[in-house]
Amino acid sequence: MDVLFGAFAGLGAGAVFAILGVGLVVAYRGSGVINFAHGAVAAYTAFTWDELRNTTHGAYVKDDGGSIFLPWFDPIPEWGFLKALHINNLPVEIHIMNDPPVWLAALLSLAMAAFIGFLMHIMVFRPLRNAPLLAKVIGSVGVMLYLQSVANLNFGGANRADNGFWEFTSTNEPIRNFLGMDRNLAGSTLYLAVAALIIGTATWALYRFTRFGLATRAADENEKGATLLGYSPQLLAGLNWVISSVLAGAIGILFIHRAGPPTFILFVVPALAAALVGSLTSIMGALAGGFGIGMIASMGVNATSYDWWPEWLPSDGVRTFAPVLVMILVLYFRGDRLPIRGTVGVGRQPRAPFAKHPLVGLGIGIGIVVLMSNIFTANWESTLTTTLLSIMFMLSLTVLVGFLGQISLVQWSLAGFACWTLIRLSADGTKIRAMDFLAIDGPGWPDPLAALAAIIAAVILGVLISIPALRIRGVQLAVVTLAAVVAIEDLLLRNEPLMGAGAATTNPTPDPNWFGVEVGALDEKTFRTDYWKYTIFALIFVAIGGLIVANLRRGILGRRFLAIRSNERAAAAAGVDVARTKMIGFGVSSLLAGMAGILVAYKVPVITSEYFNPFVGLGFLAFVYLGGITTVWGAIFGGLLAAGGIISEFGSLHFEGITQAYINAVGAIGLVINAIVTNGEGVALMLTNRSKEMTGVMRGTSSSPNEVSGSIDANTQEVS
Amino acid sequence: MTESSDLLRIENLDTGYAGVPVVRDLNLYVAKGEVVALLGPNGAGKSTTLLTISGLIPILSGSIFALGEEVDSRNPHLMARRGLAHVAEDRSLFFNLTVNENLKLGLRPDKTGMEAGLERALEMLPALRPLVNRRAGLLSGGEQQMLAVARALVSRPKLLLVDEMSLGLAPIIVEQLLPIVRDIADQTETGVLIVEQHVNLALNVADRGYVMNHGELVMEGSAEELLERQDLLEASYLGGELEGEG
Repeated sequence: MDVLFGAFAGLGAGAVFAILGVGLVVAYRGSGVINFAHGAVAAYTAFTWDELRNTTHGAYVKDDGGSIFLPWFDPIPEWGFLKALHINNLPVEIHIMNDPPVWLAALLSLAMAAFIGFLMHIMVFRPLRNAPLLAKVIGSVGVMLYLQSVANLNFGGANRADNGFWEFTSTNEPIRNFLGMDRNLAGSTLYLAVAALIIGTATWALYRFTRFGLATRAADENEKGATLLGYSPQLLAGLNWVISSVLAGAIGILFIHRAGPPTFILFVVPALAAALVGSLTSIMGALAGGFGIGMIASMGVNATSYDWWPEWLPSDGVRTFAPVLVMILVLYFRGDRLPIRGTVGVGRQPRAPFAKHPLVGLGIGIGIVVLMSNIFTANWESTLTTTLLSIMFMLSLTVLVGFLGQISLVQWSLAGFACWTLIRLSADGTKIRAMDFLAIDGPGWPDPLAALAAIIAAVILGVLISIPALRIRGVQLAVVTLAAVVAIEDLLLRNEPLMGAGAATTNPTPDPNWFGVEVGALDEKTFRTDYWKYTIFALIFVAIGGLIVANLRRGILGRRFLAIRSNERAAAAAGVDVARTKMIGFGVSSLLAGMAGILVAYKVPVITSEYFNPFVGLGFLAFVYLGGITTVWGAIFGGLLAAGGIISEFGSLHFEGITQAYINAVGAIGLVINAIVTNGEGVALMLTNRSKEMTGVMRGTSSSPNEVSGSIDANTQEVS
Repeated sequence: MTESSDLLRIENLDTGYAGVPVVRDLNLYVAKGEVVALLGPNGAGKSTTLLTISGLIPILSGSIFALGEEVDSRNPHLMARRGLAHVAEDRSLFFNLTVNENLKLGLRPDKTGMEAGLERALEMLPALRPLVNRRAGLLSGGEQQMLAVARALVSRPKLLLVDEMSLGLAPIIVEQLLPIVRDIADQTETGVLIVEQHVNLALNVADRGYVMNHGELVMEGSAEELLERQDLLEASYLGGELEGEG
């Protein structure tokens, strides 16, 4: 009976997943984009609602309320002479009225959602309409990071505890002894479910019975055909983006009494599972899928309260694993039936030139880092190692995403898994430092051995994750791996019975000693985290990683990777063992991610699973894409640009008003522009091309790198 | 001979892909109620020409005036709204929609009633009537081509472009479909530009014809003239000498 009640208790969350899933289907049918930012749209709308109504009881309360914040920020921070010139007054806040009525607040909030949908279409997805899949995924991830950062800047980022409105309130009377089950159901649960059913059915009717719906379905299948009949696929896409965003906004407002707006961002994961149940085309399928996932997850969580439930399977993990399980099952059994939108044309993949002189580049890089390490002190040494750590991780994305074309979002979790495994294996049941709160049980392996085992563990997990990738590809792999990120955090990283006492809270990291040398960033004598030996240790790791990637690209394996990225069937026809090559790619990438995990473990004295949350991983993907996803130099540029890297730290320290949220927002804009303008080749290749052009001018030759790449083969171009 | 009343007028057109011309210096026109055949071997640039007229491929140089306005590839959907219908080589049907839904998408909403347009198309292609509730993807090749033609007809076009109607179809079906194109031109004064590899079939229903090879116009004349000069036609297809062409 408890399990059955659990199913009903899951109707509320199911309603959210269902309507978000319907919105994803609407956007996909309208434009062929799987919108990872869908939850972020719900979050921004919910923030807008809360700001207008000002019923907040959370930590961050605005003085007046009744204002809306447009989805952008002052582009120039207030510092120096610019502050005096007042040239940076791009309007952001518009005060409407104090204490607006519910209907007006709802209308304005939904208008905000519609506006965001319109902007997403015009500024991001319309320019990317013929771009390769990766560019569209990156564009969508960029929008998600942007909205998250702008919400942070405009609303303070802290969670809100809004009471909601009408029957959708946290103070609503519970339904006592629900259906004679001797349990009380939260008052708003059934209202949420009914609201979701009405909204979902109305949306279905719109697409089933109107000419607009028919035209959308037609353009979804054949854009050229729709154009020849007089329908503008881009106008249809724009309208669908607006509808999709309004749906996200509506459920954001209805559910705000249950969850704070920031929580909505990751609701995109179960919503994606719901959309997949509907094969990305069926609105009623997504509706049913959303309710189903909510109910299954709730039943699972209820089941964990029984004595017979294994301790090593935590309730949070069960809740987040439910959508992953549904996704894997749907994609495994029905993946071949999922539609891929046909567009009039598809752009080319980003070039992946190989390094002509990797050892020269390596020598220059090592020289620069050693020089910097000698010049830098305190925070700057730490910034330098953060940059190295970021480069180390980004190299794993270069291999997997840049070379092999597998859009996997799970690699940062693999780094986390290596980090946690290392902590567990090197622990011996005693406190590592006097300041530690707890001691972790473990076999107490020597540090090099524990590190090696942790990297191997990451490789094994990475190869296991690659098995679905043998059947699932493209954007569907991105969807599944995003879900896997959340599940790994809850199932593995925060799993104390499996990973040790501090896994879910603060995990004390080892004090590493490699063959008699202290290589951790924390100097045990001074307690400063800028120990130079760690810098050298990290540099050695990055150098090894860089050489692996550079030589991989130069060899036959790299060419096989690119062949698979270009066309799996053609690669198979040319004799490439696609399954084996993909698994090798995942393995190499996981090895590099595992090495990054080791560097994380040795950099900080204690660590929480938050360090490995999905947004950090997506941020890395964003910045390596900005730097250039297909070259080692791209990873280096990405590391410099990334959060905590040298360039962003320079901005934070020297310019008032440049916060991390600001840097992230600017980075997200750069990401989207990069996806549109450079097709993912990033800063690295752009600079390489410019320098070659300049060299050509100086030598009196007229050929530009672009001409070369256009006439021969985009991937055979060399960079030094 | 071109006049301002022409439904379609192409002047010195260069068009192609990624800036590389596939069609060079093309001049042709189509008048009201006229069926014009655009002939030539594979790769001659016929389909590229039709796609450019529809606005799906940008013009490299020269100009196209269709239905009184210059073609603008930035908004290709507006061409259909002005009265241009294009039966594409790949038919561009919506396979997951029913025959009825495919036809409804072609209807132009206006005061005269959409049902009448639908009825007229089904009268011209009665074989489709029992299939209206079947998904387009389940139709045979011939039925799909009929649907593509019917969908163009329901929009009551002023200018109709038909690309390779015979592709993948049995000759007997093509012989049934091509006369329908002639009827449309005769009954509604629709101008028709038909691209076809089956020279004799096309010229039997056409008033005039143009022959292209390697992206350039190599012959033109009335249908009768072209039919009489089979030797030159063959030479144009096989890349031989075209001395004395008219």
